[in-house]
Amino acid sequence: MLALPALVLIPFIGGLLAWLLGLNGGMRLPRTISVLTVLLMGALLIPFTLHGQQGWMAQFLIPWIPAVGINCHLSMDGLSLIMLWLNVLIALPCILLPCAQVKERGGLFQCLLLMTVAGMSGVFLATDLMLFFFFWEMMLLPMFALIIIWGDENRGRAALKFFMFTQGSGLLMMLSMIGVVLLHQHEAGVVTFDYADLAGTAASSRWSYVLMLGFFIAFAVKLPMVPFHAWLPDTYASAPIPATLLLSGVMAKTGGYGLIRFVWELYPSAAPLIAPVAMTLGVIGLIYCAWIAFAQNDLKRLIAYSSVSHLGFILLGIFSGTKIGLEGAVIQMVAHGLSTGALFIIAGLLEDRLQTRDMGRMGGLWPAMPQFSGLAMLFAAASLGLPGLGNFIGEFLTLLGTWSVSHTMAIISASALILSSVYSLTMMLRIFYGPKTSDQARPLGPVSYRHVSLLGGAALLLIALGVYPQPVLDRSNPALPEMARIAQEQQVP
Amino acid sequence: MLTQTTIPNGVLVLGAGSLILMALVAIRRHVMRDAVFSALILIAAAFSLAMPQILPHLEGLTLFRLDSWSTFTSLLIIFCAISVILMAPVKASGGDAQTGSEFYILLLISTLGAVAMTSAVSIVTFFIGLETLSLSLIGLIAFNNRSLLAGEAGMKYLILSGVASGVMLFGFALIYAETGSLTFRFPNLDNIPSPGIAYAGLTLFLTGLFFKLSAVPFHLWLADVLEGTSIPVAVIVAVTSKVAVFAAMMRYFSTINLFAPGILYDEIAIVAILSMVGGNLLAIVQKDLRRLMAGSSIAHIGYLLVAFLSPMPYGFPSAAFYLAAYTVSTLAVFAVMAGVMPQSRDIRQWHGLARKRPFAALVMSIALVSLAGIPPVVGFFAKFYVAAAGLAAHRHWLLAALVISSVIGLFYYLRVIFVMMTPGRNDETHELAPQSPNVSNVALITILACLTVMLGALPNGLILRSQSLEIGAPPLATSPALSSYPSKHNGALPGPG
Repeated sequence: MLALPALVLIPFIGGLLAWLLGLNGGMRLPRTISVLTVLLMGALLIPFTLHGQQGWMAQFLIPWIPAVGINCHLSMDGLSLIMLWLNVLIALPCILLPCAQVKERGGLFQCLLLMTVAGMSGVFLATDLMLFFFFWEMMLLPMFALIIIWGDENRGRAALKFFMFTQGSGLLMMLSMIGVVLLHQHEAGVVTFDYADLAGTAASSRWSYVLMLGFFIAFAVKLPMVPFHAWLPDTYASAPIPATLLLSGVMAKTGGYGLIRFVWELYPSAAPLIAPVAMTLGVIGLIYCAWIAFAQNDLKRLIAYSSVSHLGFILLGIFSGTKIGLEGAVIQMVAHGLSTGALFIIAGLLEDRLQTRDMGRMGGLWPAMPQFSGLAMLFAAASLGLPGLGNFIGEFLTLLGTWSVSHTMAIISASALILSSVYSLTMMLRIFYGPKTSDQARPLGPVSYRHVSLLGGAALLLIALGVYPQPVLDRSNPALPEMARIAQEQQVP
Repeated sequence: MLTQTTIPNGVLVLGAGSLILMALVAIRRHVMRDAVFSALILIAAAFSLAMPQILPHLEGLTLFRLDSWSTFTSLLIIFCAISVILMAPVKASGGDAQTGSEFYILLLISTLGAVAMTSAVSIVTFFIGLETLSLSLIGLIAFNNRSLLAGEAGMKYLILSGVASGVMLFGFALIYAETGSLTFRFPNLDNIPSPGIAYAGLTLFLTGLFFKLSAVPFHLWLADVLEGTSIPVAVIVAVTSKVAVFAAMMRYFSTINLFAPGILYDEIAIVAILSMVGGNLLAIVQKDLRRLMAGSSIAHIGYLLVAFLSPMPYGFPSAAFYLAAYTVSTLAVFAVMAGVMPQSRDIRQWHGLARKRPFAALVMSIALVSLAGIPPVVGFFAKFYVAAAGLAAHRHWLLAALVISSVIGLFYYLRVIFVMMTPGRNDETHELAPQSPNVSNVALITILACLTVMLGALPNGLILRSQSLEIGAPPLATSPALSSYPSKHNGALPGPG
């Protein structure tokens, strides 16, 4: 199937094209190219969505480095499909919305965005460990460039922090990966990096715990899990809004995706061993980051911390080891991408208009932009887990899954919902209600048609997900057979 | 008759070439002609190495041994030398018509010494090669004799390299005293009267090697030398000499089992860990790009030693692959430096290069990313391969050091990229306008950038090549006491002579 490599190559080529066409300084042409590229990616996904069957829907396999058993092996199942859709959906506002920081070299900007998108597509598709790692590291470089070229005044530190955290953990993953391959070579006598061959290799080995840890840390850093989250607030705050959008909307989900695909499915016996730790850290992250989010004055940092807090649910869901928790985690990944993405768009727009991210200097914006404020309210409500919106389903299923494993954890993490309503509503209160502050840099003006339609689209999707999540569950379900099996085994005794 | 010679083709061509060049210079000097001529000699030498049948085939050499390992490393060395010529023709020699030609003579002679080292199987030929390289390097380092820094660097190298050679020679003497053999291979220490002396000799020999490789703790000279000398010469110091010494080291230890724990293994492992961590820590505090590259070079020697300490099937090929990756990436960094800002003394002078010279900044970034070991460039796969070798050999401490030092390394490599991508602050007055690189330099950096990316995306060819390499060691001298060769010494490397 050529559609799979196309999903990686199209944004790559589209990015190069946008860069070349934008060399003369035009901003419009590169943007058009990028939009077409992303739409084309979306179009490629449609047939899979409509006619998707169980298990692997499509495969693509050519030798890449046969000397050491590495192939260019891409495959798609329901989970990949959902993540790819998320990738496309988040990429669209990133390239469409005007960004105040990008005043020139628009072509390069679009190019770097699309390169990141290409890298993430690769991550969601690769089923060769080496190829996965290749994309995993590849998506960081354009993101690094985006941050250091267009970030705010702290960008140097933020970009370095981001890169060193993710790369350092990536190196651990590389070692684990080589470890699995060597183990497999020891057992079967063949050097291969193929996911299907390696699944279950390390199951019985005494090394499997150590090897699993390497993967786990890499994904936990990317997600990010609490002790490893130090890179995130700085990076999110310093990056230009489209980059933040990609980081929080999709790139953080590569961590969740990796936890499901590699930690659970490659190490079905070792992963449950770390589950209590992971779940505890997830709960701590939920509470701790919600608490910190509450104390923020910087709007972007508030959303960043709330984002980390909600990612705790993904961790909980995945490591609850139950089918329902896992489904919750998948739904939460999608819903979180949409709602956090929308909140970051709102933060970006406010920053453009008011020239500040300090919430102390905002206030009383509702009358000036009623439509927009209404949408903001909706996303704040989504983020605090209002029933009827996607996040609620995710959080509910996750808590249900957690409940069957540990009542205490479920209770504590449910209390995070209270905290998140506190900070979400405080945020709304400080920005949109109350007296109008006078020191706004320029008149607010009407919100662009583009913003409203994109935010509206996200709102519709969130509502759809909240009201009728079954299609997403149906897609992700067949992708988690191993998971379901484990879950059943655990529930039998 | 050529058929009677005991000298391999590469050495022969380079030796004859430097003699002819000397004669040409003696008759009439013309710097440009000499540059072109030496480039031609180097290309001829490369051909004679790659196609041994061009010159009469040589059998039964006692002083040299031609095998694919020596061909591979010699080609890397010759590639470096050609790059040095392309990097900044004429200007490299200080732009002085009176002395410019000698630069190329010295360059050919240093290459000759390095090539000789890669195939030496006798202590005598190894040492002659090493001294040919070192002595011509002293001349090259101090070539720009009007610069005080160059004089200082030359002096430092002269003294430290002299000491290292002396130490090494003393080590050889002790080994010879115990084993009675001048063969360039790890001596058989089982049946000799007092192995303590031989071990002392080995330690001294290793110390000398580490000096030449600038492994920590024998690295102190490297940063000063790279800072003081001209950039093309810095390439010879940082790449050519290291490739040559490492190639010889690999051959020397190819016959023994370094992989079992023991004193020798411990010593090399400690040096490897110190080099990885120390080199990166050295680089991280530097403000001068050349000193930073010195730290980087030390760290990469550490990574190479991890491969060196790992058995087949990964250890030896990964070392070869790493050498190639290191050569290409480091060459690219120095080529860009030579092209756009040869006088640069401070990294801050590189601010805004991405605006002023986008292509040069791009190549520089690719090379630095490769040195940092990030895909899709060749350094990534090299590091991956070395890590695989280390893991296969259960070298956990070495791998821990490799991961930690790689993260430290990221910091300074990315900082350089960051500097190039951002404009400098206005209060920084040491602005230095980048030059436009000349045609040959642009060609060189284009080739190097393509190689870095191509080998990274499609490394299969180079991996196959490195897997097929064979290293040959001479048979031990057949004195009665030494004739038996116990089986436990059967190295895991292929083809012990």
